[in-house]
Amino acid sequence: MMRRLAGFLLAALVLPLSLAGPALAAPVDTGHLRAELIAQTQAIAPGQTIQVALRQEIDKGWHTYWRNPGDSGEATKIGWTLPAGWQAGEFVWQPPQPQPAGPLVNYGYSGEVILPMTLTAPAGATPGQSVTLRAAAAFLVCEEICIPEDALLELTLPVQAEPAQPAGRWAQPIARALEAAPKPAGLTAVFHNDDAGLKLAVTGDVLTGADMAESYFFPFDGAVIDHAAPQAIERGPQGLTLSLTPSYAFQGPEPPQVMAGVLKVGETYYEIEAQAGPLPAEAAGLGPPVARAGGGGAGLGLPLAVVFAILGGLILNLMPCVFPILAMKAASLAGHAHEQAAARRQGLAFLAGVLATFLALALALIVAQAAGAAVGWGFQLQSPPVVAALCLLMLAVALNLSGVFEIGTSLQGVGTGLASRGGLAGAFFTGVLAVVVAAPCTAPFMAPALGWALTQSAPAALLVFAALGLGFAAPFVAVAFAPGLLSRLPRPGPWMDHLRKVLAFPMYGAAAWLLWVLTLQVGPMGLARLLAAAVVLALAAWLYGLSQARSGGVALKGGAAVLAVAALAAVLIPAYQTPAPAGEARGAVAELPYEPYSAERLAELRAQGAPVFVNFTAAWCVTCQVNEQVALARQGVADALAGTGTVYLKGDWTRKDEVIAAELARHGRAGVPLYLVYGGAGAEPVILPQILTEGVVVRALQAAASAG
Amino acid sequence: MTTSTLSRRPILLGLAAAAALVAAPALAAPAIGKPAPAFTAVDSTGKSRSLAEFKGKTVVLEWTNEGCPYVQKHYNAGAMQGLQKSAGRDGVVWLTLISSAPGKQGYKTAAEANDWKAESGAAPTAILLDPKGEVGRAYAARTTPHMYVVNPAGTLVYMGGIDDKNSADAATLNGAKNYVVAALGDVKAGRAVAQPVSAPYGCSVKY
Repeated sequence: MMRRLAGFLLAALVLPLSLAGPALAAPVDTGHLRAELIAQTQAIAPGQTIQVALRQEIDKGWHTYWRNPGDSGEATKIGWTLPAGWQAGEFVWQPPQPQPAGPLVNYGYSGEVILPMTLTAPAGATPGQSVTLRAAAAFLVCEEICIPEDALLELTLPVQAEPAQPAGRWAQPIARALEAAPKPAGLTAVFHNDDAGLKLAVTGDVLTGADMAESYFFPFDGAVIDHAAPQAIERGPQGLTLSLTPSYAFQGPEPPQVMAGVLKVGETYYEIEAQAGPLPAEAAGLGPPVARAGGGGAGLGLPLAVVFAILGGLILNLMPCVFPILAMKAASLAGHAHEQAAARRQGLAFLAGVLATFLALALALIVAQAAGAAVGWGFQLQSPPVVAALCLLMLAVALNLSGVFEIGTSLQGVGTGLASRGGLAGAFFTGVLAVVVAAPCTAPFMAPALGWALTQSAPAALLVFAALGLGFAAPFVAVAFAPGLLSRLPRPGPWMDHLRKVLAFPMYGAAAWLLWVLTLQVGPMGLARLLAAAVVLALAAWLYGLSQARSGGVALKGGAAVLAVAALAAVLIPAYQTPAPAGEARGAVAELPYEPYSAERLAELRAQGAPVFVNFTAAWCVTCQVNEQVALARQGVADALAGTGTVYLKGDWTRKDEVIAAELARHGRAGVPLYLVYGGAGAEPVILPQILTEGVVVRALQAAASAG
Repeated sequence: MTTSTLSRRPILLGLAAAAALVAAPALAAPAIGKPAPAFTAVDSTGKSRSLAEFKGKTVVLEWTNEGCPYVQKHYNAGAMQGLQKSAGRDGVVWLTLISSAPGKQGYKTAAEANDWKAESGAAPTAILLDPKGEVGRAYAARTTPHMYVVNPAGTLVYMGGIDDKNSADAATLNGAKNYVVAALGDVKAGRAVAQPVSAPYGCSVKY
């Protein structure tokens, strides 16, 4: 104390006389930092409010503290000694930096820190005079150990008649500090503390679509949260929810009703004041943000994601919905089996088609996601006009394979073995078609890679999609390039015509399946429209075939084209009526009693502690339908559901549904199927494999129920 | 938040998360109204002491670090010693804990602790040496001073700061509200502790 007092006395003795010059201040070295008062202007007018600041230049390795110092430490303080009428405001605190110290975390500053505050001159200040303002600043400066340091600072300002404008060396730094300070942004913040933990939900326009990686809440009050505990982040459509660890204040007789502080989102800091209350739904549901990709950081996940994508692409070749396309590929390749160069060109064209389509889909997905649409893998089959158009396309391909008409020489193939321009286009087109149809079959290896890709930067996502295409096209390209494999294919002959006509039937099947999907999406009226269009298209195909058989059947060709366009137009325009609400009239696809999924219903059941089985499915998802038949619609599963009292919720993603898309994302998925089994209250769900068996489901249900 | 640290951050975050998983159980805060965490530690006379041996008595736990300016505020003015003596007269057990790791500020061998006790005129029941920080972590002690009061039933009834003045300036002792004095008064009178928690202040415990 004596030392401190002596310091003050000494400082008082050496105070310089007031001089009528520009703002003057001298830095004071307190031992581990240099402190000074700075001003944004060179002078002040009577009644004017200017910005001044306490500037600290802290020794390397040492730090001072924020308004809430965290687990230990003490905030920097300033006490002004001002002439009558003069007023100084509070510090405008800069965003704090977390300072870990062993198991503790402090909030503070290192290097240079500028803490602005206002200074107001009285209306009666006399222009022409110079005023010296004094302030005592107290710092706790810590490295491993802490040292309280003091500085008696002063600032000399000339008083002038005209209001002073920002000028001088410190005008810009102070402006920047004011700019960087956390500000309110109309955010709504709510917190809720119960046995499940302390959650802080923040919503607002500025948070919609924001990069929420590394979000963090700095409370003003040092007693509300455990500063050292990690803050888990969950994104929501309009905000985020942080899971905090409550501290002392919540153990007292009067737990806090308000929790104010600074929220860091990305590199932006907002001032928030959270009220106790129920948490809003729009601040959660989209899962944690992916760790920010920066430099080497992205390299950690990307290679693995690419490997998964190639594997997933390979496996897509084996999925049921790709089979018809495989059939087309086989027919096309067989046509060129004994023409090495032609086969290679076909392979490359197919690869190009596949890659182009995957990249186009990825781009569409990225753009749609950026626009905030709830889309995911297979999204193209959520649109009724797309499904109807695809159905007609399948029908046209099937009719072609049946020999009703021919497309140039490309798919004629049989016996000619020559790759024309049309042949290359045909192979490219085959690739395109294969991808579009294969997309809804989310192969097990593909789901994690896609889920990851959709949360990444656009280039990373595109790379993953390209890898997927590479894997998908690899078998066909390999066959096209390996003469050994090619020579094992049988020689061309009449059998190829038979093969081609046999292969037409999987395509009819694909058309029928798409028709069924459309029925589920839009009901019987859509069915009538599409069936009528299909008949017209078949007529068009036949007319076109007729024109090919005769030389110069221009009129027939024109008629066929008109009919084909009319058929296509009929399924695209007018728009399909707004479909019935989700969950209604879906009984036909399920044989087990279920309730439609909703986030509210799930939360309610979870609160009751009831075991829950959630099935996210879609009519166009073949894997889902196969699982439905071979694993779910079984007596064993029905018995297990009844025996364990498990509630069966089904989320139908046949059409766009933001809630379901959010739930899928929360579990790292970009598509269906997704099967979740919830046991006792509080526990995270078990995610079942994407290919189910009856035994897997029964065991999971029983395990969850007994754990609960 | 410099650019150079950005690229390493996913790794650092991972490490931090892993460290937090390991550290979290050790730093799980003890709860007011729950049994105070049991511990055994060697005191500066070489004797093994445990919380259990003081069952039936009110116990004060005081985390200290001689080099810490906040601790010095309370010792240089004789305030902490005064509290210890007055508590002792009331039959309260006062345990002063040193959780500084060897080589860090405040660390003391048994002999050094005894010397410090004699020089400062401190009057705790015992000075417990906790160089591994085990007792400190069990109580989530984060500052020096950091104070805890355990009632005769072994229940934690107060934890937090020694008073309401977060400052190393001795002038702040005047007019400060001493939470430990208040808590001991409540326990002695058989009342519930009116203010059972407060934010502790001071230097970080040098684990």
